Amino acid sequence: MDKQNAANMIKAAQAGDAHAFERLINTYYDVIFKFACKWCGNASDAEDITQDACIKLARFICKYDGKAAFTSWLYRLVINCGKDWYRSQNRHPSNPDALEYVQADSTSEQQIYAKQVINALYQLPEGEKDAVLLVLCQGLSHKEAAYALGCKENTISWRVHEARKKLSAQFKKEQDYG
Amino acid sequence: MDDNKRDHILKNIDTPAIDANAKKRALNLAMAEFDSVQKEKAVEKEKKFQGFQILSRLMGNSNTETNKRKRNAMEQRSHKKFIYGGMATAAAVIIVAGVGLNLAPNFGASSQLTQHASIDTLSTGSAAPLNKGRIETRSQTRTESALVEQESFAPQPSSSPAPKEKADQLGGRKHAPQKKQAERQRQYGMIEGKAVPMRSKDEAIAARKMIAPTAPSSTNFTGHAHEADSMIALAPADIMPNHYQDVGRDKFSDFTENPFRAVADEPVSTFSADVDTASYSFVRRQLNNGVLPQKDAVRIEELINYFDYDYATPTDKAEPFKPSVTLTESPWNTGKQLMHIGIKGYEFTGEQPNSNIVFLLDVSGSMNSPDKLPLVKNSMKMLLSSLKPDDTVSIAVYAGAAGTVLEPTKVSDKAKIIAAFDRLSAGGSTAGAAGINLAYQLAEQNFDENAVNRVILATDGDFNVGINNREELKDFVERKREKGVFLSVLGFGQGNYNDDMMQALAQNGNGVAAYIDTLSEARKVLVEEATSSLFPIAKDVKFQIEFNPERVSEYRLVGYETRALNREDFNNDAVDAGDIGAGHSVTAIYEITPAGSPAMVDPLRYGKKGEAADQGSTDVSDDIAFLKIRYKLPKENVSRLITQAITQEKNGPHCPTVSLCDYGINPDTQFATAVASFAQILKGGKYTGNMGYDAVITLANAAKGDDPFGYRAEFIQMVRLAKTASDMQP
Repeated sequence: MDKQNAANMIKAAQAGDAHAFERLINTYYDVIFKFACKWCGNASDAEDITQDACIKLARFICKYDGKAAFTSWLYRLVINCGKDWYRSQNRHPSNPDALEYVQADSTSEQQIYAKQVINALYQLPEGEKDAVLLVLCQGLSHKEAAYALGCKENTISWRVHEARKKLSAQFKKEQDYG
Repeated sequence: MDDNKRDHILKNIDTPAIDANAKKRALNLAMAEFDSVQKEKAVEKEKKFQGFQILSRLMGNSNTETNKRKRNAMEQRSHKKFIYGGMATAAAVIIVAGVGLNLAPNFGASSQLTQHASIDTLSTGSAAPLNKGRIETRSQTRTESALVEQESFAPQPSSSPAPKEKADQLGGRKHAPQKKQAERQRQYGMIEGKAVPMRSKDEAIAARKMIAPTAPSSTNFTGHAHEADSMIALAPADIMPNHYQDVGRDKFSDFTENPFRAVADEPVSTFSADVDTASYSFVRRQLNNGVLPQKDAVRIEELINYFDYDYATPTDKAEPFKPSVTLTESPWNTGKQLMHIGIKGYEFTGEQPNSNIVFLLDVSGSMNSPDKLPLVKNSMKMLLSSLKPDDTVSIAVYAGAAGTVLEPTKVSDKAKIIAAFDRLSAGGSTAGAAGINLAYQLAEQNFDENAVNRVILATDGDFNVGINNREELKDFVERKREKGVFLSVLGFGQGNYNDDMMQALAQNGNGVAAYIDTLSEARKVLVEEATSSLFPIAKDVKFQIEFNPERVSEYRLVGYETRALNREDFNNDAVDAGDIGAGHSVTAIYEITPAGSPAMVDPLRYGKKGEAADQGSTDVSDDIAFLKIRYKLPKENVSRLITQAITQEKNGPHCPTVSLCDYGINPDTQFATAVASFAQILKGGKYTGNMGYDAVITLANAAKGDDPFGYRAEFIQMVRLAKTASDMQP
């Protein structure tokens, strides 16, 4: 779906067109689910969060003002839903066991390394993890990520920098031992 | 291992596949919410019926699961809230179970009214015939108190049965069971079109129970307004959520490696053939996950027999195989030798025989994971390509109950068969026995004396309903085997894989047990080796080796621990043993200590010299051992015998060290040795001395040979993985 189409669909949904909204959910469910999955690392939790997010979307779609990309806005919604959901469950995201690194010709060693990287990502403080997810995994600009996380652009830059430093240090250490 | 590499990994994280049911559910809920939002807006504009609108908005707000919205509601309305379960609205629509409800005290009266209304709706709803789905109501901990409150409003039916009961019992029960389940559960409901988040993935599974794949797919409680777009089905707590992965419940039968035996004490070794490969794929899967497999999961002979070796093939169907024996130095013990005994089954050259195949597929909840049912379906579709157009295929499935999905159909009608596979999805408990019964009925219905009649069971082996006694199932399968219907078992999944049961069934059903971890393994087993897996050329194949104490002081059979037979069983045709399919190869490796070399077992101080059996006038002093193979042709009940003396000369000179030579006669022997070493190291390396993974890699690398499908290269990869995994172990 091209940009113009998507924008029209969103507008129509905001205006109360149920068909447009249905198409919108159909289109963005995948985006939401994939991101929720990456955010919480667990497919079944992600399904719940996605469901909550879709329901919220129905209510709050009219609040989207077009100032940022729709996906960034969605990520913000997903993160908020996710936090609410885990709070309501009284627990925290567990291990990212649903996530895998896909690379057609990767060796098993690479897979193991990738698993370690993903695990390390989940060990980071929440703010840093979210920033890395948005910037490195989802490819958002720092500005968009700042919008999605409701913080300043500088904060994002700082968090990504910190996260990189921590990851490097961790894997450096392992290499030295290893 | 720099930033770039990590960035690349992070950019390429893959998430699990999207579940179409979950998507549909979310869509339905979101649409319902959207509708109600639009209605609210319309009402707001008209400024009519203010009171009602306040009520509905209030309830809408308070019934969503998120705290945030709850907070909003708090701000908007009063500070005092009561939560009432058992949901209602003036336009009460769809009520599933107790639903939390926040009401300011002054609305108490009207809520009482509506409460009753809702109960009525509910009873009519639940009286509607339900599909095979199950009921589960969930309420979150924080609404627990609410549920108690609710009771004062609407007396519950007195018997509130245990929550995990089948939906078809629901009819008379209404909505009772939720109280007991308050913990860890959430509530379902849809009020006036407002969606309350539902923990509904379980339900959809249950509702879409596959026994009757064409049946309506959901359990709907519908009121008058939202029949079409609200699907609420309920499911039991015991159904597993999507992609749930059991851990550490794989079951393997326990066994220890064969020890060295002194030839003087026990000159004869007897075992049954084993052409299964399940253990190899299971081990591979574990290693690909970065963990070492359980020791019991490693059956050395299955690892060795996973590969195809180029043994001399017989040309005659009546004597379907010919043994080839090779003697080499043992790579892990200087002074010892390895004796490889290999046989390769006769290969069909002409037309393959007709087949009458019944697929028996496990579609229980435990199969609901991407590496199970979807893989099963794809594997089965693959197998179709190896069948002839006029072969017959039927499909039976089992979960909580068993059912026929496809009556016997000719393979030429492929579209119909594939459509039947595509309709399947997983849910429910596992009544394996009922399914097996049904599958055999189908096979017998279409029994063809001249064809291969076979049931192919695809399961994770988790039989938890019906006959779950292993012995009973075994006996059943055995009796059917005598009638001419064989059983093969394909294992899927891990975490809850019951290898023990699978082996028992396949061995008693005269079939192979294979473990399918990937689509390429499915290809190997069902397409490339389809003839071996489907068409037996010999059954009850037994090996017996007698060692010559003058040349061999002790021996150890590598692997085949689970296939050991008693010496007297060899000549007893009633004793069941392994089967060999067309083109199968079987390799057995003995580690022997030549007489005069240092032995593991001390000789008996008071032992008397063994009296050799009468060998007639032939000179037996050159014999190392004497090999006997017994087998039955598939349709015969009397065994035939092949014998061969193994003498040093026949095998040519053997090399002084492994690294120097091409392993004597052929690289196959060397490769088999590498596999055997690897398997033994995985099992703990009791007999392999200092040999490590690197030595295995060197040994295997030099013997890769042609390797057209890359299986051997994959093996080497696997050894490397094992090395990494063992380094990672704490």
